[in-house]
Amino acid sequence: MSMFDDVPVDVGVIYEGERIRWADAHMELGGPRIERKFELVRARPMDKVKDGEIKIIGPDIKDMEKKSYPIGILVEVAGKEVEEELEGVIERRIHEYCNYIEGLMHVNQRYDVWLRLSEKSFKKGLNTFTMIGKVLYRLYKNELPIIEKIQITFFTDKAKVDEMYEMAMKVYEARDARARGLRDEDVTEFYGCNLCQSFAPTHSCVITPQRYANCGAISWFDGRAAARVDPKGPIFKISKGECLDPIKGEYSGANESLKKNTMGTITRVQLYTAFGYPHTSCGCFEAAAFYIPEVDGLGIVHRGYKGTAVNGLTFSAIADSTAGGRQVDGFHGISFEYMRSPKFLQADDGWNRIVWMPKDAKERVKDFIPAEVIDKIATEEDVSTVEELAAFLKEKKHPVVERWKAMPVKAPAEEKAEAAKEEEFVMPMPPTAAVPIGGGFKIILKDAKIYAKKIRIVRETD
Amino acid sequence: MHVKIDELKSSLGTVKGLELSIGNIIEKAMAEEVGPTPFPSTVDLREWDFKLLEKYKPFYMPFCDVCCLCTFGKCDLSQSKRGACGLDMAAQQSRIVLLACCIGAATHVAHARHLVEHLVEKFGHDLKLDVGGVNVEVEAPVTRLVCGVKPETLGDLEDVLDYCETEITHLLSATHTGQEGSNLDFESKVFHAGMIDQVGMEVADIAQISAYNFPKADPDASLVNIGWGVVDSTKPVIMVVGHNVPSAIGIVDYLQDNGLQGMVEVSGLCCTAHDITRYDPKAKIVGPISWQLRYIRSGVPDVVVVDEQCIRADSLQEAQKIKAPLIASSPKNCLGLKNRTQDPVEAIVSDLVNGKAPGALILDPEKVGEVAVKTAILVAPKRKKFKVIPSVKDVIKGAKECRKCYECRRACPNDLPITEAVAEAAKGKLDALAELYDECIGCARCESACPQNLPLHSFIVRAAEKKMKGEIYKMRAGRGAIQDVEIRNVGGPIVLGEIPGVIALVGCANYPKGGKEVAEMAMEFAKRRYIVLTSGCAAMSAAMYKDENGQSPYEVYPGSFDAGGIVNVGSCVSNPHIAGAAIKIASIFAKRKLMGNYEEIADYIHNRVGAVGVAWGAMSQKAASIASGFWRLGVPVIVGPHGSKYRRMLLGRKDREEDWYVYDARTGDRVYAGPAPEHLFYAAETKEEAMVMIAKLCMRPNDTTKGRAIKLTHYIDLSRRLYGTMPDDIHLFVRTLADVPITMRDEILKVLKKSGWKERRVPDPTLLPRLIRKRKEES
Repeated sequence: MSMFDDVPVDVGVIYEGERIRWADAHMELGGPRIERKFELVRARPMDKVKDGEIKIIGPDIKDMEKKSYPIGILVEVAGKEVEEELEGVIERRIHEYCNYIEGLMHVNQRYDVWLRLSEKSFKKGLNTFTMIGKVLYRLYKNELPIIEKIQITFFTDKAKVDEMYEMAMKVYEARDARARGLRDEDVTEFYGCNLCQSFAPTHSCVITPQRYANCGAISWFDGRAAARVDPKGPIFKISKGECLDPIKGEYSGANESLKKNTMGTITRVQLYTAFGYPHTSCGCFEAAAFYIPEVDGLGIVHRGYKGTAVNGLTFSAIADSTAGGRQVDGFHGISFEYMRSPKFLQADDGWNRIVWMPKDAKERVKDFIPAEVIDKIATEEDVSTVEELAAFLKEKKHPVVERWKAMPVKAPAEEKAEAAKEEEFVMPMPPTAAVPIGGGFKIILKDAKIYAKKIRIVRETD
Repeated sequence: MHVKIDELKSSLGTVKGLELSIGNIIEKAMAEEVGPTPFPSTVDLREWDFKLLEKYKPFYMPFCDVCCLCTFGKCDLSQSKRGACGLDMAAQQSRIVLLACCIGAATHVAHARHLVEHLVEKFGHDLKLDVGGVNVEVEAPVTRLVCGVKPETLGDLEDVLDYCETEITHLLSATHTGQEGSNLDFESKVFHAGMIDQVGMEVADIAQISAYNFPKADPDASLVNIGWGVVDSTKPVIMVVGHNVPSAIGIVDYLQDNGLQGMVEVSGLCCTAHDITRYDPKAKIVGPISWQLRYIRSGVPDVVVVDEQCIRADSLQEAQKIKAPLIASSPKNCLGLKNRTQDPVEAIVSDLVNGKAPGALILDPEKVGEVAVKTAILVAPKRKKFKVIPSVKDVIKGAKECRKCYECRRACPNDLPITEAVAEAAKGKLDALAELYDECIGCARCESACPQNLPLHSFIVRAAEKKMKGEIYKMRAGRGAIQDVEIRNVGGPIVLGEIPGVIALVGCANYPKGGKEVAEMAMEFAKRRYIVLTSGCAAMSAAMYKDENGQSPYEVYPGSFDAGGIVNVGSCVSNPHIAGAAIKIASIFAKRKLMGNYEEIADYIHNRVGAVGVAWGAMSQKAASIASGFWRLGVPVIVGPHGSKYRRMLLGRKDREEDWYVYDARTGDRVYAGPAPEHLFYAAETKEEAMVMIAKLCMRPNDTTKGRAIKLTHYIDLSRRLYGTMPDDIHLFVRTLADVPITMRDEILKVLKKSGWKERRVPDPTLLPRLIRKRKEES
């Protein structure tokens, strides 16, 4: 009655975290001892795929002894909605599905794959790639019904793997180049994600080719695949609509989507800026950008950073000032992948406006920071206060220094040295109406006794 | 504050005879608006309680049919009879539950009061509270939520305790004859007691973490030694037992200040042991409460120091049997001993060493430290060979005297085959006795019942001597709070369905089948990538297990609040860090206000946070109040079979569709959300039943489809593995086809078809109509 009755071992997500030590292994495929290995998904025309075919080129599991073998897994898929752009998304499922199989461990992806089969599962009868192929086939078809036809080939013959490897590397390269080259201008659809609404009911993400979801877990390609597979699901298509501001990244379709999904709380979003109408933030964003008024620049702090940022606040405190689906001028949650995007805060001057970030974070995106500014961005090792930061920026001739000339009054303030730390953190807010303080009346109390067991003094908020 | 003005004329006005008296100004400046219920009274959250009690109706299981609390009685309340005061059985049962929870809450609050007073005296009112440095923004989530204040210093905690004490007094008074008459109102007060208990515990733990510098939300807190076998009995050994750590700290400090570290072995049981290892990772833990008697009888301790809670009432008699002096150090547990607090140390030591007094009451932790160390050093050489555990020869000889009356087995709470094992012993074979050791909870009721006065517990201990000596494990010391950043880290994996839930293994050690089951449950769910939290005795039991590589669970699984972590928060009073993590989720992800906003946050947690408490060996009144603190937050709790003696369960009825509607906050519609979570308080008979129920109770109405799919996978998988069948209620938990786990798709689709399943929507769930959002119109 189960989907996998003809597979001698169990199949389920509970095996995902299973680790197989070499001592318990029957053999391994790929991994550090094998130079060339790969796994690859290709989208093919309908007539080029023989649905359900599983081929093995080279020795099968039952012919293997306890050592490392070359491996290549080629999954060829076809379907009306299957396109080359989804190959990467479909390919990552190989990792997930292989790990569902009891006694099969799969690590890494692409040209780094490493699989181990446990002796125990081998003894239970998992002795041919055909069975692994069957599992992959059924899971693919069940989870991604857009795949109408699928054929799977396992390569273990060294010569053949080497040959296919060259081809696979070219495909990866081309795919990466295409993904990097894909601009928001090139597509007609963005994707929206409401997954976080289960915990942050007022947050909704807009995902574009050049702006990853805040969590860093969902790319435009992932969104595209998910929306096609389950059009009614929490990840959905957004028609881009009219481009209202190409620099700030405002699109009528994104505005409409947010209006609908935040129940009208958010009506405008500008995707490439931290000011005005920045993207809203959930709670699990990878990093946050924050405005530092004293130097008119932006800082970045990421979730893994344990210390305090240059403005004296921790990641938690900064995150807390923007989380929960709010739109806060000057503060918003971002992903690392967005930092790698050419659209990264483009309306605010991009990397030229970034003045501080933790060393770790800088290291992770260093290849994407323009060479002329990279050394001008301070880290916790360079400065620890805003005053030191201002001096650092001045000394390094950071591009924001130019801005100070335009606003001489607000230029790096020295007087606030200690106060800045102690003070309550104040977010830029729209000016509030002055509270009327008035006279013109008299209070006359005679023989009054006021007794309060407790008095709560609450700051007035509007 | 008191202001009195006889007459004042100013430009503002004229004041005559004004008296302004303010009891307490409790807030200076607040960053956050305070919600509707700061410092709630016993009735302020009653409507919320009734909402929960409507869904999870109390199911009473009278432990006793009569009430004998006043002299009208005894009154027989069986078969719908009412007592002389007019009370019926349901109300009487809930009244007893309330009494138990008041005892529990009072215990923790008194504990907190004692600690705070002691620490204020030592460190001053102004000592800053710090539970996790920069990584913890919300440092006292329960106190913020309940009281609407943000305590910053030790002194601030005193106000919070004032409130707790007032509430407990009100609650306790409601149990007097002729007070509350409705069982539901008693139940609401039970929830209130539980909530107050959480505040009291939080106060105690944040005070001691801050003042004693315990690990501060540290996932890599030290691995400490635990088990009977870790104690070096060649050194003078001090045994500390109880829950309130200052006297144990007095001992460690004295050793340190006098260069005696390493010369004297400090070993502990119960929560004092937890907390002493949070202070000094070199201290050793013998084990949970069940080890008390066997450890004393083994003769290893040279001095026994008791503080408060869960200490055997006969510890003085037992200590006398091994000629180990006993020091009582808590006003709550004086054991009839003479108060020697004001006496000179040398005089006390001399009396104890020379056997002039069997023990002393010393209500000064520093003095306890000095007396205990000096006494241990002097007593140790005198009593080296003294042991009360009979020799193997004597066990066999004693066993032959057994008349097979089975009184021992009848007296045993776990119905262990003691008589049978003694019969084997009479034939010279001790294996059967040794086997009892693993499941014995060390209560010695068998001995009291034996007409031949056989020291049966000691027989078991002798038979299992080898096992005991082999008890050498590692436990991660209690880390305290969960960091805000850790919660942010798991947000993504939870919505993406990578972490199926959070499971808290808490409470006492009255397990049906030994502590091994706690370790097994912890590991099973950690392996399945749940986040597993532990505290109290359960945290110790989870350590007392070795895998095939000889490693304890805490060595195998990390201590971080993340998928697959086994996270020891600490002692009993550390429990609010677990509730606190759930509370912080609402603040971190949804930016909900915490201050004095209990109902809204409880609604959020109940409908969204897939957390389950498991108190597998819950025994005490404290465990009862800890559980009720979770209930009011809407977090389900599972107890072991002994838990049914708590007299009532809170069980949902999945067959009643009308019970499971929530509001969709987006639209205001009432939407069927399925029985998630199905129960609020449930007693499981076996570990297997508990595990299936744990997986099931992790489901919540807000689950994303990916999240629901993985939760269902584990529920179904465990059910198939442990029961051998598919659950019969899958259709209630599948909302859309995307909820169906892909590896089980075919079978589940069949089940759905058979049950006439229809697709429904995933709501933005709430039980509170006021939280229905209004669509903002364009301006």
